[in-house]
Amino acid sequence: MQLTAANTAVVVDSTADFPEAPERFPNWRVVPLYVRFGDESYRDYVELGPEEFYARLRTATELPTTSQPTPQDFLSAYEELGGFERIYSLHIASRLSGTFGSARLAAEEIGGGRVRMVDTETASAAITMLGLAIQRRLEVGTTDDELDKLIDRYKQEHGLLFTVDTLEFLARGGRIGRARAMAGQLLNIKPILTITEGEVVPVKRVRGNRKAMQEFVRDFTGATTDGPDLKVGIAHADAPERAEALRKMVRAERPQAEIEVVTTLGAVVGTHAGPGTVGFFWFLDDAGDR
Amino acid sequence: MSDLEQARALAHGALASLERSRQRIDDLNVYPVPDGDTGTNLALTARAVVEALETTRAEDRAALVREVSRAALMGARGNSGVILSQIVRGAAEALGNAEEVDAATIAQALRAASDAAYRAVRRPVEGTMLTVVRALAEEAEARVSAAPPVPELLTALVSHGEEAVARTQEQLDVLREAGVVDAGGAGLLEIVRGIAAAVSGEELPEAPPSAGFAVEAIHQELSRYRYCTVFVLEGDELDATALEAELEPLGDSLLVVGDRSALKVHVHTDDPGAALSAGAARGVLEGIEIANMHRQTEQREERLLHAAENATDVVAVVAGAGNRTIFESLGAARVVEGGQSMNPSTAELVAAVEALAAPEAILLPNNSNVILAAEQAARAAEKPVEVVPTDSIPAGIAAMVVFDGARPAAENAAAMREAIEAVATGEVTIASRDAVLNGLAVRKGNYFGLAGGDPVAEGRSFEEVARAVVERLLAEPREVLTLLRGADAPELGPLVAELAAQHPELEVDVQDGGQPHYPLLVSAE
Repeated sequence: MQLTAANTAVVVDSTADFPEAPERFPNWRVVPLYVRFGDESYRDYVELGPEEFYARLRTATELPTTSQPTPQDFLSAYEELGGFERIYSLHIASRLSGTFGSARLAAEEIGGGRVRMVDTETASAAITMLGLAIQRRLEVGTTDDELDKLIDRYKQEHGLLFTVDTLEFLARGGRIGRARAMAGQLLNIKPILTITEGEVVPVKRVRGNRKAMQEFVRDFTGATTDGPDLKVGIAHADAPERAEALRKMVRAERPQAEIEVVTTLGAVVGTHAGPGTVGFFWFLDDAGDR
Repeated sequence: MSDLEQARALAHGALASLERSRQRIDDLNVYPVPDGDTGTNLALTARAVVEALETTRAEDRAALVREVSRAALMGARGNSGVILSQIVRGAAEALGNAEEVDAATIAQALRAASDAAYRAVRRPVEGTMLTVVRALAEEAEARVSAAPPVPELLTALVSHGEEAVARTQEQLDVLREAGVVDAGGAGLLEIVRGIAAAVSGEELPEAPPSAGFAVEAIHQELSRYRYCTVFVLEGDELDATALEAELEPLGDSLLVVGDRSALKVHVHTDDPGAALSAGAARGVLEGIEIANMHRQTEQREERLLHAAENATDVVAVVAGAGNRTIFESLGAARVVEGGQSMNPSTAELVAAVEALAAPEAILLPNNSNVILAAEQAARAAEKPVEVVPTDSIPAGIAAMVVFDGARPAAENAAAMREAIEAVATGEVTIASRDAVLNGLAVRKGNYFGLAGGDPVAEGRSFEEVARAVVERLLAEPREVLTLLRGADAPELGPLVAELAAQHPELEVDVQDGGQPHYPLLVSAE
């Protein structure tokens, strides 16, 4: 079957941090997770935007918690996309959230193999960037086989580095894996982290924000070469100046690269990463060379 | 299969089974003292046998039996390891004499193993490894008349062994109180399980779960003696009984086993020196190990509480309470107090390294006068140790920042060496006498500043000397400046404010290090 943007939809959950997706692409939908302050529950981005969330986080006496969408939430989204013959449903790493499981139940309910489930094994803008790579192919016509290969390659090859101000947020949500040992609160320790096979893992730790940036440069330039096929995404949690510094760094080091996403981490990802988090993502997409 | 191949297969099976339960067995360990190392000791003892079998040139079965027995004895670690070495010896001798291995041979081997184990212990206690090996022997003997095939017999022995291990909890008060089974017995069962699997050619069954014992198990009384002291004595006509009599008043958990040419000694005592002297009077000492069991126990509690398993742990030599906290917060598993004018001994460092939970170690001397002792300790230690030659506490901190316990010691050491290359260090001390150093006249009692080992300033004003040191370090562009304030040092507030104004890009980190002799330690990176 020939897949196109007219017959194939892309569903992401809100941890892709791409709330404007449906406005940009008529074949995209975002299913929100939930964030809860005390007894009040909000749909990520829909009922609680990032700005409001971080403002509230600064004064909150009790820290928020998050929960995955219900299978019914996904079912509604899939049903709403009834006009599409195929749905690619892309989700945050199943090791980090139960969201994938919830979506899969809905996909099984739909049946017939119409919904293709993808555990992206990553988070935030990295999910969006995979969706954008899929979209580029849909716009020129593609096949399930070709997309499967793309998804496999994406999981293998996409790069992701981030740093947090404190590991406390990751630790509290139990999403820290073996990065736990990277703590070191006394000195201004910045852990450099990545996500590998759906798990947050430490790369190294450095002292201070400037050294964190130097480490980003070193790893990024070591892993990439300049060119228009190099796609980059940047995400931050209430730290626009750090995101801007990263953008400038990417511009300086890889002037031909396309920075296709710059986003704020939403309430859900922000709950688990904590304010001050900044990270970036890259993938060499040769879609135009086929 | 040749005898050697068969022996290798069995030893590998036993070791593999032990290794995967090592931590669980360590955590069971409350008897005779809760030193939390029974699993490790058994595994190391088994590994010694495996290694001997890998390299042996034994030409016949008798030689093979001798080599296996000797390897187990020489490699025996801890009480449980020594008892295991006797079990191995008893069994190996019986198997060595047999024409073919059948149910009857196995029963004989287990009986010989049990007898040897009981002989090794001065006052046998039931509810331990001894009980389990005897139960296995009795069960094998009871089944001989039915002449079961060997794999079937071994399977039956494993399940009988499981019952025997479970019963240890009722046989020994300390185990009942702790709600655990005997660690040595559990280890022996894993060995039999591994051998049974090797003989049947089947995969090892699922390891028993590690959960399910009471939290009280981690709060056992400490042994009244502090040091676990182990050595091998080599000589002619060694008299085990006489040595035993001499060592007995020194402590408890005494074991003296071996033959006239080599004895393995294990004792828990407050006076390891006296134990060593008693040995040295009779022969040549080898393989001396002295471990502080109170520390081992603390560590075990730590491990149970945090359940973190590192490939590499760090031992750091540190002076000052604040500095100790910094090293610990960066993940140093052990801090040995020491530094300028109080250098730790090689033995202290060896003991610290050996007591680490991780299989490999990094040693950070953090003082140029400690580097040599650290290197000696690395050679003497049983586990692989990398010395990263940090010559100051700030250099040590720079090394710790890049430490990642999940990676092997060699990788960590390489990253740490790179990190200390990138850091410049300095210090302010107080001159202990009048001197002229590199053309700088230094007066006794004055502040005296060095940067990268070179004298840069001296004088009565702490602030001026400190400023000169810092300025020298900032001559090159730097990102982070760390100031470690010493014990009884003047305030750093004015200097820090000045630095913030002059170097707005610089991240300045001030910590109370608490080190003696150096009012200020500095690093720039």
